Amino acid sequence: MYARSNSTDRSGHHKLSEQLTARRLMLLAGIAGAGMSLLAAQPAAANETPRSGGTLTFGVTTEPVCFDPHRSVQQNSYIIIRNYVDSLVAKNADGRFLPWLAKSFQKSADGKTYDFILRDDVVFHDGEKFDAAAVKTNFDHARDAKNAVPAGELLQSIEQIEAVAPHHLRLHLQQPDTALLESIASVRLGLLSPKALQAGAQLCGGGPALAGTGPFRFAGYTRGQSVALERNAAYNWGPGYAKHNGPAYLEKATIRFLPEYSVRAGALSSGQIDVIEGVQPTDVGQFKDQPGFQFLTGPSGAQTAFTLNINNTIEPATDVRVRQALRDGADIEALVKSVYRGTVRRAWSNIGPDNPLYNKALEGSWGLNVAKANQLLDEAGWTGRDAQGYRTKDGKRLGIEVGYPQPFVRDSRDVLIQGVQAQLRKNLGFDLKLRIITGGEWGQQLREGTWTIYPNTYLPADPVRELEGNIGRTGFIRAVSDKGDKELFGHIESALRATTADDKLKHVHAAQKRAVDQAVIVPLFAASYQLAARDKVRGLSFEAQLDSPSNLYDVWVAP
Amino acid sequence: MTSTRAMITKRIAPRLLTGLLVAWGAVTAAFIGMHALPGRVEDILAGDMSWPGLREAIAQEWGLDQSVWSQYVGFIWRIAQGDFGTSYVMRQPVADVIGPQIWPTVHLALSAGILAVVLAVLAATLTAGRGRIARAAASLIELACVSAPVFWIGLLLLLAFSFTLRWFPVSGADGWRALVLPAVTLALPTAGLLAQVLREAMEKALVQPFVVTTRARGIGETLLRLRHVLRHAALPAVTLGGWLVGGLLGGAVITEKVFGRPGLGTVTLNAVLSQDAPVVLAVVMLAALIHVLASTALDVAYVFIDPRLKVQ
Amino acid sequence: MTEMSSRLSGPASHTVTARSVWPKPINTLINALINFLTRPRRLAPLLACAWMILIAGFAFAPHWFTAYDPLEGDVLASLAAPDAEHFLGTDKLGRDVFARIVYGARFSLGVGLGAVAISVAFGVLLGLIAGQRQRVLDEGFSRLFDVVSAYPGVLLAMLLITFLGGSLVNVAIAVGIAGIPKFGRVVRAQTKAVQDADYVVQASIYGRSRFSAFLVHVVPNVLTVVPVVATISVGTAILTTSGLSFLGLGPQPPTPEWGLMLAESRDYLRTAWWTGVLPGIAITLTVIAFAVLGGSLQRHIEGRAP
Repeated sequence: MYARSNSTDRSGHHKLSEQLTARRLMLLAGIAGAGMSLLAAQPAAANETPRSGGTLTFGVTTEPVCFDPHRSVQQNSYIIIRNYVDSLVAKNADGRFLPWLAKSFQKSADGKTYDFILRDDVVFHDGEKFDAAAVKTNFDHARDAKNAVPAGELLQSIEQIEAVAPHHLRLHLQQPDTALLESIASVRLGLLSPKALQAGAQLCGGGPALAGTGPFRFAGYTRGQSVALERNAAYNWGPGYAKHNGPAYLEKATIRFLPEYSVRAGALSSGQIDVIEGVQPTDVGQFKDQPGFQFLTGPSGAQTAFTLNINNTIEPATDVRVRQALRDGADIEALVKSVYRGTVRRAWSNIGPDNPLYNKALEGSWGLNVAKANQLLDEAGWTGRDAQGYRTKDGKRLGIEVGYPQPFVRDSRDVLIQGVQAQLRKNLGFDLKLRIITGGEWGQQLREGTWTIYPNTYLPADPVRELEGNIGRTGFIRAVSDKGDKELFGHIESALRATTADDKLKHVHAAQKRAVDQAVIVPLFAASYQLAARDKVRGLSFEAQLDSPSNLYDVWVAP
Repeated sequence: MTSTRAMITKRIAPRLLTGLLVAWGAVTAAFIGMHALPGRVEDILAGDMSWPGLREAIAQEWGLDQSVWSQYVGFIWRIAQGDFGTSYVMRQPVADVIGPQIWPTVHLALSAGILAVVLAVLAATLTAGRGRIARAAASLIELACVSAPVFWIGLLLLLAFSFTLRWFPVSGADGWRALVLPAVTLALPTAGLLAQVLREAMEKALVQPFVVTTRARGIGETLLRLRHVLRHAALPAVTLGGWLVGGLLGGAVITEKVFGRPGLGTVTLNAVLSQDAPVVLAVVMLAALIHVLASTALDVAYVFIDPRLKVQ
Repeated sequence: MTEMSSRLSGPASHTVTARSVWPKPINTLINALINFLTRPRRLAPLLACAWMILIAGFAFAPHWFTAYDPLEGDVLASLAAPDAEHFLGTDKLGRDVFARIVYGARFSLGVGLGAVAISVAFGVLLGLIAGQRQRVLDEGFSRLFDVVSAYPGVLLAMLLITFLGGSLVNVAIAVGIAGIPKFGRVVRAQTKAVQDADYVVQASIYGRSRFSAFLVHVVPNVLTVVPVVATISVGTAILTTSGLSFLGLGPQPPTPEWGLMLAESRDYLRTAWWTGVLPGIAITLTVIAFAVLGGSLQRHIEGRAP
């Protein structure tokens, strides 16, 4: 049980001892925050006093199609949404859960009941009161299938939501759900004003109607150009990991949509905007350690490594030797180093290396071995060669297609795949085709189980969910899972059912090992978020739950 | 204009009627196309996520569980009433999505169009019938403008005038400074083509007898060119008008993306990529109507410029 | 159009004459071509021809021009500036930029020519039918052209490619379909004009069947307008393809198509200019060359050549 107190907290719900714990936790959170600053290489801020006021322009890669946290399924939308919605609980960088709009929370012994004591001083942007009924309205709305809210998937284990008292919420679960707090902490279950929710579909369009409780109000949206955010002067309920209390420092912030790499970098280097995300690796040198600029790298733990998921039910990937040859035929280490200029790490598992459940033993257990890969392909009967030098068997060329859905192409990832493609061609005579497909075609392939290789990162609430959603029985392979790898499915399902942390860890490790050994995945690199900014911008950090920059709450601009 | 009424009934009304037919055809073709695309809307909307009942609920919400035929009839019926429906992806009325985007695009296209005409008239009047070197140089520049990819021109302009010289902002749509580079980018190819057509027409006109007689009256060369020759040369240039409208609107898609400007282009591209049928269909409808209006207007313009056509 | 067609059917005796086994209009065209090729008087068409011969060489025998493989590179030497080894530098995957331009000629020209072939084939066929004195057919096809051209610029190609999927062949198909009305309209107008010309009317008076008169007199005469438009259109199609690549709807990597190279290079504009500037120049020069050749061809056909 975690709790947090501050001067405005006049609730009678918790005892002195809890408050003491809370202070200690705050201290710990502060240390964790400091650690993150180090990681992020922010300019030393020890002797500086944050300055309130000022504005900031943030250049982002993607314009969200929907600004409603419950409906948006775009990873890139969350860094904007986080500015105007808060969650009940906050996930700290070390994986612990801290108070946020719930000042304390508790799980029952059987894991089937969760109690949240809510803050009583919170108001939505539209003036509505924040209370247990408002949270219930949010969650019930998301859970109701007829509303077709995608975030409802996070609440599938809930049987009933009860507002015990005005500021006491109780969740009754059908079965224990180890990922529940992750789900509750997710921006996707951020809380909206019940009045706003009644507006329903219109919320996707953003604007002041989209009222949350966040440190900024959604002041305006110019489609194709920008989002305007305004400080919420009443704000006094930051997450447990925040570095200050009270309202945000920035008076106004503008989120600018700049889809072109060179335009974003050019706008920053010519001083027209303050912060950018999605820095082209070759542009990093212009900002990293350069006077007037700073470059920050976030942790790589929450989301999966960028991974090639191989559908092992479709020829020729049904042969484990073909998959292993694909896995070991390219120098992934060198490719990642070259494409990302040393800004990200090569991956060994599809769970990120900074994640507590990462199987470190996999490092060095696979990878570049051209002789072995060629031998495997020879054994598998791919001994012929066609005019272009590709291997053949019975007149058929050895090839598998990577279908990369266009909406997810970003961050030079297609370039990396092209690098693998070139090496497999040269080293093995293996034709790794790359085709950019539409979201619709991917949807169809997923439904029919006809995809061949799907490259992705995945941001679920919990690593076990991540494995299940990617390579488990109900993962991408779900349409044809009867032909999938039963042993792998078994490990993941055991991890899902595990009741102790040790048991869970054991099965998660086994599942990662099985997936890599069987080469149903080829992890490429551990994605981490990167920001470049003017050196005057202070307080930039990363949010563990999103694996992306935190909101602009703690950010300020030095004179 | 005694025959204004006759002109409306004989020329404009039938053209507008067939125009409606054309718009209907274009929208129907797009409807069929959107429905034949691989993948279902509910799959796109749900993304990678799945839980029992989600896809069915989405399908039901949008009436996707009905037959294609009844979806089509419903769609045409709504369009006829001026209702473009709701965007699947953005979950807002299509009119609200597209409406605010029309002006930025028109603003950009209009500025670019005017700039193109000014540049073309300048280039043509200055070089038509002049020395070989001047003409060759102008021709080469015009050809290069027509022949270089639009997005490349835009990026090169950005590199030079925004990143390096910092004269203009990189992106955005506020103020005239932000409009300069996009408008120039979009105007250059059009200006190049227009200048070539104009010059050729002017050179033909310059050897006509009326020019000799006008010159004999002692009129200055500049005035002669601007007042008499240019007018004579306008007809072939006006023929290009319809093409220009389409070219500017089409080019706006790319220009808006390069400069991160709001507008129909960005909305259209996103809608096409995410198979957001209601938005795509509305854009097609809008484009078809503009096309019809523009070509009708041109038809009328011919009559004014070349009165001989009135006889037909 | 009437003016132009009468000029077309008129004598072109000032040129070197081909043996008159061909119908007269085709004869005119061949003469114009021979005249153009043997006695070019202007510098621009000469330069255009030289460039075309060079890129045709690239397309047919790329290995004569470069020893590098356009698809294979040393990733560790990516984005290397031009030097003695790679005299146009290397791209993001360490591939030789010059080799990619050389091999890319085949794809870029292929897309351009393929698209125009589709436009011409359907445009001519539909235009000839629409040009008949059948009001229903005329209206039908003319409105069909209207429908196609009601989609501005790249919108039609965008929609078609989402439908067909991005690949070199599909881009050619999409760009080709978008170009059909252009040819359809020209051919329709020309057909109408020629059909009413005196000699066609006379031919039918002298007892030729309508169909044979159509084949012998109308079709060849109509076809003389196609080469000029087609030549210029090849360039336009290459441009459109590059625009589609920029929007992410073009040919798929690692195809060394120029438009795709240019689109991919835009992320490195500030750090590795050579990856984009050179394919850009290749595209621009090629489109210029097609335009110059088209214009020159037109002057020769019209008998205006010096």
